[in-house]
Amino acid sequence: MPVDHKRINGPEDTVPYSLYTKTNKQSLTEQYEEIRKTGQRTDSRAFSEHRKIFVRTGAVSQAKGSAYIELDNTKVIVSVFDPREIPNRPDYSLKGELYCEFKFAPFSCHKRRLHVQDAEEKQHSAIMKRALESTVCLHEFPNFQVDVYATVLENDGSCLSAAITAAGLALAHAGVPMYDIITSVTMGIQRDTFFVDPTVTEQNICLYPRPSESDTEHGIVVLSKLHTHDQVSQFYQFGNVSLDKLNESISILDETCRELVPIVQKYLVKHVVKNLQRNT
Amino acid sequence: MSDGYKTLHPVKYYREFLSQGIRPDGREFNTFRPILLNVGSINTADGSAIAKVGNTTVVCGIKAELCKPKPDAPDCGFVVPNLELPPLCSAKFRPGPPSDQAQVLTQLIAEIITNSNCIDLRDLCIVRDKLAWCLFVDFVCLDFDGAVVDAAVVSLLGALKTVKLPLVEYDPALESTQVFLEEKKPIKLHSMPVSTTFAVFEDKIILKDPTLEEETLCSGVFTIVLKDDELCCVHKPGGSPLAPEELVKCIDESKLRTPLISSLIATTLKS
Amino acid sequence: MTTKEPCLCLPGQRLCLSDKTYTAGQGTYERQGYIYSQLAGCVDIVDKDNIKVVEVHTTGEQTVIPAQGDIVTAQVSVITQQYAKCFIKCVGETVLRRPFRAVLRREDIRATEKDRVEIYKCVRPGDIILARVLPITEAHTYHLTTAENELGVVIAHSEAGHPMVPISWTDMQCTKTFAKEPRKVAKVVPEHFNAPSETLKP
Repeated sequence: MPVDHKRINGPEDTVPYSLYTKTNKQSLTEQYEEIRKTGQRTDSRAFSEHRKIFVRTGAVSQAKGSAYIELDNTKVIVSVFDPREIPNRPDYSLKGELYCEFKFAPFSCHKRRLHVQDAEEKQHSAIMKRALESTVCLHEFPNFQVDVYATVLENDGSCLSAAITAAGLALAHAGVPMYDIITSVTMGIQRDTFFVDPTVTEQNICLYPRPSESDTEHGIVVLSKLHTHDQVSQFYQFGNVSLDKLNESISILDETCRELVPIVQKYLVKHVVKNLQRNT
Repeated sequence: MSDGYKTLHPVKYYREFLSQGIRPDGREFNTFRPILLNVGSINTADGSAIAKVGNTTVVCGIKAELCKPKPDAPDCGFVVPNLELPPLCSAKFRPGPPSDQAQVLTQLIAEIITNSNCIDLRDLCIVRDKLAWCLFVDFVCLDFDGAVVDAAVVSLLGALKTVKLPLVEYDPALESTQVFLEEKKPIKLHSMPVSTTFAVFEDKIILKDPTLEEETLCSGVFTIVLKDDELCCVHKPGGSPLAPEELVKCIDESKLRTPLISSLIATTLKS
Repeated sequence: MTTKEPCLCLPGQRLCLSDKTYTAGQGTYERQGYIYSQLAGCVDIVDKDNIKVVEVHTTGEQTVIPAQGDIVTAQVSVITQQYAKCFIKCVGETVLRRPFRAVLRREDIRATEKDRVEIYKCVRPGDIILARVLPITEAHTYHLTTAENELGVVIAHSEAGHPMVPISWTDMQCTKTFAKEPRKVAKVVPEHFNAPSETLKP
């Protein structure tokens, strides 16, 4: 790997200490069997229950709009900036563009993340862009781009959907013209268990098929929805899920997305009222 | 219409405020902004803190990993600091490799850590020549509104105070390592560096703890780092010249900050 | 502004039917016969020739980009023989956080005797001008015009660095050194006053 001269690089052969801990921890498969047996998630939520959401707007004073979101331990901050000229674009376009960047802070995950954007972060950026593009009135700022930056401070699962929900809130906070309010929810699927808003352990359980006789269904589904028009703006699925299960998961996600809308609305109204009071 | 005047004639706008002995945000020249500290809020890090100086926000997260000491310093561990100024924190920064400013500040923080000796690298060694801790100290700026180094140093102290390293046993015969997560120990902090940033407006007025606006309009910005009443580092990258007596005055004034910050850290850790 | 209780709305909120009496204005959009809000802010209904225009205004800072026909406040940065480069700082009343680049060409400075215009006699770097945005023809650059009586230099400093006051529509005078410098001076009209076009008296 080439040396990054613009940062301070530590020794090359460092290893996380968790590799050397005694393996008295349950494996993911065992944890899954436990959850199936007891019918209880690790944080004693119902399977279709979303974690409590904490959101706040205006966390970044330097940005035009910003939002901070917390799903228990998952913490994501998003900021939105004024339209700027699209760099390196010779021709004129009637529509504006969105630029999304999704980044994990180096200390946000179990394993230390590197500073340079990796493939997962690039994929998440692309999904975010797709989800938000249909929400923003791009024709209102032709030939300009609006920057949306998301940083995950702590990853305890569902950080992509948290980032999309927060980005929608930040865009509205920035006064960028939008068609609708967007909310997004993640779901993990392992055999016949649906985990709505999975934690990082539950997400890992769903990443691979857990050995069983015939049933190898597993996967992650992320769905983003526009509220008023009842439209799906983005859908992402990873893994191996049958069509019936997928349909079922979509209807559950649809319901959960709807549940999040009042929370987002509440904070936007708060923001508007606060400004009104300041102006008068 | 004051907004319009401010954008069109920022220097004049400031000059008029400062001639009245007050800054546009309502502070006097030598008033600090309030500092907030929150420790241990990030569970995936081994130690973490969020520091806010006015609007400026810096998150510091420390992740500990194991590695082999360098042959030329067999009894020393490592501390690897990096400060990120992501485009998220200000419209000044673009996506891509670290800006010049981020590189300069990273270097400055590395110097503060080495000069102040707040961590003895020998404390981080587990077995001489075989195994040592490497602390990756990552700072992420979330809101860039001036005096970032001050916020970074406060968050560094908060994060270091919360670091707990597990007990490690090393068997030289088998060359095997075992980590006991049940037994965790804090690391010793040998000193407490405190940084104060000043800005010089039109070669005359010295503003303490400047905001971003003040930093960009001023003709010079400098940072004084003290460790327990001793001078640890002065960073003055060019800018307008400064009389020695002015500098001494600033050093004296920054001494006032040390007790404030140590009591802030103590109360934060207690609660 | 009306004094009654403001009506709040959020993006995507359905406001009313779009018909002969109501039409979608600023900050709203129309879809399938209804008017929806684009912003989080307050609803404003403006009467215009018996048609009610539904508008939504944000209570915070607006996100605007200059459009054709807008009056903008710009600062001149560089001048050449053909054009002056400027930065747009305000669009109408809205102060921008991030300036936009723009160009004021020689032929767009004055309405008359266009070919005899010399740029350095009309604007200098650092001057604040009022200008109108011309139709956008090229990607990335806004073209401005000051070829109206009310447009041109509004704030300028003399070579000695002191503020200047207008003394005619082609000259400004330094308040300290009393040196005269040529400028394309804007005739500043008081707000809410529709002045007939006439030249500024010396």
